[in-house]
Amino acid sequence: MHTLTNRAGYYGEFGGQFIPEILRPAIVELDQAYTKLKDDKNFQEELDWNLTHYAGRPTPLYFAENLTHHYQKAKIYLKREDLNHTGAHKINNAIGQILLAKNMGKKRIIAETGAGQHGVATATVAARAGLECCVYMGEEDIERQYPNVQRMRMLGAEVRPVYSGTKTLKDATNEAMRDWLQNVEYTHYIIGSVVGPHPFPMIIRDFQKVIGEETMQQLKKMENKLPDYLIACVGGGSNAIGLFYPFLNSEQVKMFGVEAAGKGIPTGEHAATLLLGEIGIFHGMRTYLLQDDSGYVQPPYSISAGLDYPGVGPEHSFLKDSGRVKYTSVTDDQAIAAAFLLGKLEGIIPALESAHAFAYLDELLSETSPDEIVVINLSGRGDKDMSTYIQFLEK
Amino acid sequence: MSKRLNDLIKDKAGKDEKLLSIFITAGFPEIDSTKEIILALDEAGVDFIELGIPFSDPIADGPVIQKASERAIHNGVNIDNIFQMMGEIREISQIPIILMGYLNPINKMGIDTFINQASASSVDGLIIPDWALEENQKYGDILKKHDLDIIHLLAPNTPPDRIKIIDEVSSSFIYCVAYTGVTGQDNKPTEKTSDFLKTIRKELNHPLMIGFGIKNREDYLTYTNYADGVIIGSAFIRLLEKTNREERREAIDRFIKQIR
Repeated sequence: MHTLTNRAGYYGEFGGQFIPEILRPAIVELDQAYTKLKDDKNFQEELDWNLTHYAGRPTPLYFAENLTHHYQKAKIYLKREDLNHTGAHKINNAIGQILLAKNMGKKRIIAETGAGQHGVATATVAARAGLECCVYMGEEDIERQYPNVQRMRMLGAEVRPVYSGTKTLKDATNEAMRDWLQNVEYTHYIIGSVVGPHPFPMIIRDFQKVIGEETMQQLKKMENKLPDYLIACVGGGSNAIGLFYPFLNSEQVKMFGVEAAGKGIPTGEHAATLLLGEIGIFHGMRTYLLQDDSGYVQPPYSISAGLDYPGVGPEHSFLKDSGRVKYTSVTDDQAIAAAFLLGKLEGIIPALESAHAFAYLDELLSETSPDEIVVINLSGRGDKDMSTYIQFLEK
Repeated sequence: MSKRLNDLIKDKAGKDEKLLSIFITAGFPEIDSTKEIILALDEAGVDFIELGIPFSDPIADGPVIQKASERAIHNGVNIDNIFQMMGEIREISQIPIILMGYLNPINKMGIDTFINQASASSVDGLIIPDWALEENQKYGDILKKHDLDIIHLLAPNTPPDRIKIIDEVSSSFIYCVAYTGVTGQDNKPTEKTSDFLKTIRKELNHPLMIGFGIKNREDYLTYTNYADGVIIGSAFIRLLEKTNREERREAIDRFIKQIR
């Protein structure tokens, strides 16, 4: 019998390639293309050039003096991914993957999006590359993130509303996968988070780890030391893994991934996959999953469309079980309050997703001392969330 | 391979006849109608059944089977009920039954438990589209011990060396999808597809079944030129959707006899 490559793309017991046979050639092609290109000098130079001149990297590591003064319990730094072109960290991955797609000779790009940030980032890079682009977005998310829908359309992308299931990110991902099954030969699927079958979680993490690498260098210049704490929000987990990854071997750096507790864990309306999920098989990966006793996926809930996902990147499942990262959660209300505080103190309106990371400060800072350093990943800006914020402004 | 499936394949090959399989979603349209549908299919002369375990996120399925799956879940079906149904069906019919479903509900039950129970309730095989070869091979021995075969899928874009591997690890038949896509799409075989099917049929050591998008007699005749049989899914689900329960048995009989 022929030998099969076993245990490809596993993080401990998580990850893998749980895909229909039709997708196998595309996954193999992607794996081979990426393996070849990731160490290719020209590819890396092109990627760096794009990140610098198009996305606007490096993004600042900003010392939040007023926030620091407000708490007086730690020095708080913000990694300003919100200042990237298109307004979130999502562009890091989109730029990398469009270069891969061009290299593989693909003619068409598809993507799923929740909050619309990944959809906008993908529409942006596809427009620039001259490739056809189709973005799947749940009907409910179209409503709550409407400015991003219009942005994608202005960038020339087709936004296909998804009416099935929960009409949010989970079903947008299902539809994108169905599209990929149909058009796999000439289409590249730019997945937006560190989810899906191997090699997607690895590739996306590699394109996002620039966040942590820059943070490390910037903080060394500013403070000449490593951070004591890192905080990032976790939906699929791409901004979090991007910040955490370069620090994983520095044991003194404590890391916190913040999931959406929605209306509160006891209500059952939340998206706290790592806290409450059980191991399952979903969207091509083995990972923690919100599911019922029959193994049907449980509809998640969060005020933030980007965190409203029942699965999570397999590497996060691994980091949870190994204890390296602590995963925790905050509610909708806590996130909203944190967003308003950041606006008032620092003049920054964060994305609802990122606001979840800020909301965890209240709890974390009860155990810190004033000379310790906390870095929060401000993964995106809040322009897209104004219609939600306005409702609370009026209250 | 199960004796039921083995006997069927041998018998058909001996008589040089084609196989016809029908896919239904368990617990659809009503939770208690699966047994009577299978019985009607058996009486109408269908060779074997693919019994679908519903899933909340069936990524390889088109809208028709998605909706059936959603309805079945709404009706309260899960794997436990399906094994119970199997017991009742086996009291009246010995038609080979292959369970088809996504891996998560099976994983939730526990893969070993699932295999034990599937075997105990006289299931004849398994089709699990998202359980890739690389992931399921470690269960080869336990499946063999229970005479349960995993039926592997092939697609027109599967490379030749991979087809060889799939042929080697298969024991009953091989399921080739008629096109790259999801279930229930409109489709006619392209020249490329028919060339592909002709080539693999010559090379495979196992019988070849074709499924996806096959809906009527014309498709049956077209695809049985290239294979040992066909599988009909979405078109039959659509029939169930539009037929009242009282008229169902007769409608099923007409549908099948119209096909061959």
